[in-house]
Amino acid sequence: MGVAQNVVFGLVTGSYIAIAAIGFTLIYGIVNMINFAYGEYLTIGAFIGILTVGVLPLPLPVAAVVAMVGGGLVSLLLARVFFTPINQTGPVPMLLTSIGLGLALRNGIRLTAGRGSRYFDTETATLRFDGLPALSVGPVDLLGDVFVTSEQLVVVGCAVGVFVVVHTLLTRTDVGIAMRAMGDDESLARVRGIDTQRIRDNVWVLAGVLAALAGVLLGIQTNVSAGTGFSQILQILSAAILGGAGSPYGAIAGAYVIGLVLALSTVFLPTGMTGLSSAIAFLILIGVLLVKPSGLAGREVREA
Amino acid sequence: MSVRERLPGGSVLPAGRAEQALLVGGLCILVAAVFLLTPLSATIPGALYVFFEVGILFVIYGLLVLGLDLQYGHTGLVNFGHVVFFAVGAYAVAMLSAEGSFEGVALGYPWMFALVVGVVAAAVLGAVVGATSLRLRDDFLAIVTLATAEIFHTLFVNFRGVFGGNVGILGVPQPVADLAADSDTSLVATLLLFGGVTALTLGMLTRLTDAPYGRVLRAIRADELVTRSVGKSTFRYKMQAFVYGAALAGFAGGLFALYNGAVAPGFFTIQVTVTVWIGMLLGGASNHRAVLAGLAIIMGLRLVSRFALDVSPVAADAFASVRLIVVGLILVLVIRYRPAGIWGDERELGVES
Repeated sequence: MGVAQNVVFGLVTGSYIAIAAIGFTLIYGIVNMINFAYGEYLTIGAFIGILTVGVLPLPLPVAAVVAMVGGGLVSLLLARVFFTPINQTGPVPMLLTSIGLGLALRNGIRLTAGRGSRYFDTETATLRFDGLPALSVGPVDLLGDVFVTSEQLVVVGCAVGVFVVVHTLLTRTDVGIAMRAMGDDESLARVRGIDTQRIRDNVWVLAGVLAALAGVLLGIQTNVSAGTGFSQILQILSAAILGGAGSPYGAIAGAYVIGLVLALSTVFLPTGMTGLSSAIAFLILIGVLLVKPSGLAGREVREA
Repeated sequence: MSVRERLPGGSVLPAGRAEQALLVGGLCILVAAVFLLTPLSATIPGALYVFFEVGILFVIYGLLVLGLDLQYGHTGLVNFGHVVFFAVGAYAVAMLSAEGSFEGVALGYPWMFALVVGVVAAAVLGAVVGATSLRLRDDFLAIVTLATAEIFHTLFVNFRGVFGGNVGILGVPQPVADLAADSDTSLVATLLLFGGVTALTLGMLTRLTDAPYGRVLRAIRADELVTRSVGKSTFRYKMQAFVYGAALAGFAGGLFALYNGAVAPGFFTIQVTVTVWIGMLLGGASNHRAVLAGLAIIMGLRLVSRFALDVSPVAADAFASVRLIVVGLILVLVIRYRPAGIWGDERELGVES
């Protein structure tokens, strides 16, 4: 398999990581917490979608919308019960709370949904580009045969749609502008008459919606089980920090970097060591935190 | 009120507790030695096996929680990858001392030498992680340490030639089991020996943190800037606390390898870190005895679920899920309603419940 094919895979992986990472980074920037339970939000969204398709015979796009609405509500509910009451305690207690909540949610899902993995039944059309000439550098083929499935196009298309919507929301609507103001300086935002708690609720809903969409896309592209969200959280987190925690645009860039690194490392790593690709993503994360802690765009995380 | 009492964290424990712990630890090790070196043997009734197994794991995790408490409870370093030092110690000991492992490196050196190298390896890793990351903000230090743990986990799984992949390293010598007359005696002796080691560690750490040294650590947690402004090199103190904790975890890992006779990635998941953290927060950070008690409660849940399993009709893995839900919710509730833990000092920790 050539590099070009892996670039396709990387863009697809980057796309759903990006959707989730936007939500993660908004929570980080505005609620000021690292939400370790966020991976579970993806799982919950995906399972709501699968339940909708399975129980009510609704078409997939409708099920995705149902999942997004459900994800938003679940996110708001969890925030109101678990996070809003301890908003003033600082980042570490909130991080620890989210770890506990994540553990409980993950096992709750496992208990109700079982250990098996589910997926969305979709018809796949595959576009092949076989005529490309081989462009070999050493043992690595730079072009080679490329295929794109319709599912992959859906994932990337959804991601682009999300970027446009989030950008519009953040720049053109009052709520979005208030969100950015709160991300910059919460006290100043409150002085200007912004209802910070309402904005926080909005952020939770938005993050839940995005997580659910990412979860459904994961279910379309591969499959989901109770552990899916947890296996994604470190990549989402890496993407968000790589991009500069708190910056949605940085998170998008970070997500594609992570996605491409994960995919391309399978080309360059010897066979049998492809499992190392996730370690490489974390190495990038650590490297970024040490060299340029503010990420590609964003704020200072170093104290001294 | 004397000046000493008014200082932040003037004295957590009354004098003498360190000596008590040292005494208990020494006695436990003596009794263990009697079991091992004389023909005396013990028999464990079948129903109690599980107590000994969980008990041994508890005293090993006890070393982890004591080290973590030095880092987080006393110095305020949010280390969320504590398991990595445990794992590095265990793997170093296993690879150096194992003979004829199925896969991976097995060098067959004496286990005492391996244990020393295991502690050093964990300490060196702690120094590297500390030197690079201790200047980061609290929550980002948590992320770096967590990512470090995940990287090492991936390495252990993927480098099959070196670390034995998912199977791990087999054929690690079990010095206690070799000396003991039978397997029951070996369990009893292991529990006494490791429990003694943990008690000794408790005693020594209590000495350390009751000393002015511990006061500096707690001052750093309370306010690093103030501590630096009175002329303390806070980075050096943080670094020392971090490396001590890492070395202690490496030691625990080494003991685990020598007790278990094998190491595998499955023993060193994020679950270990989570268990130890929850135990520490439940008991009350910055109080050595409290963190051990908190850990005992959390690990006691394993026993409860083991026995409840026998009388309930639910499947075993469903029960494991229920236990983990309970553990997660305990963490949430403790942070919300008793942020200082059950036995922690709220004023001391600077939190309000």
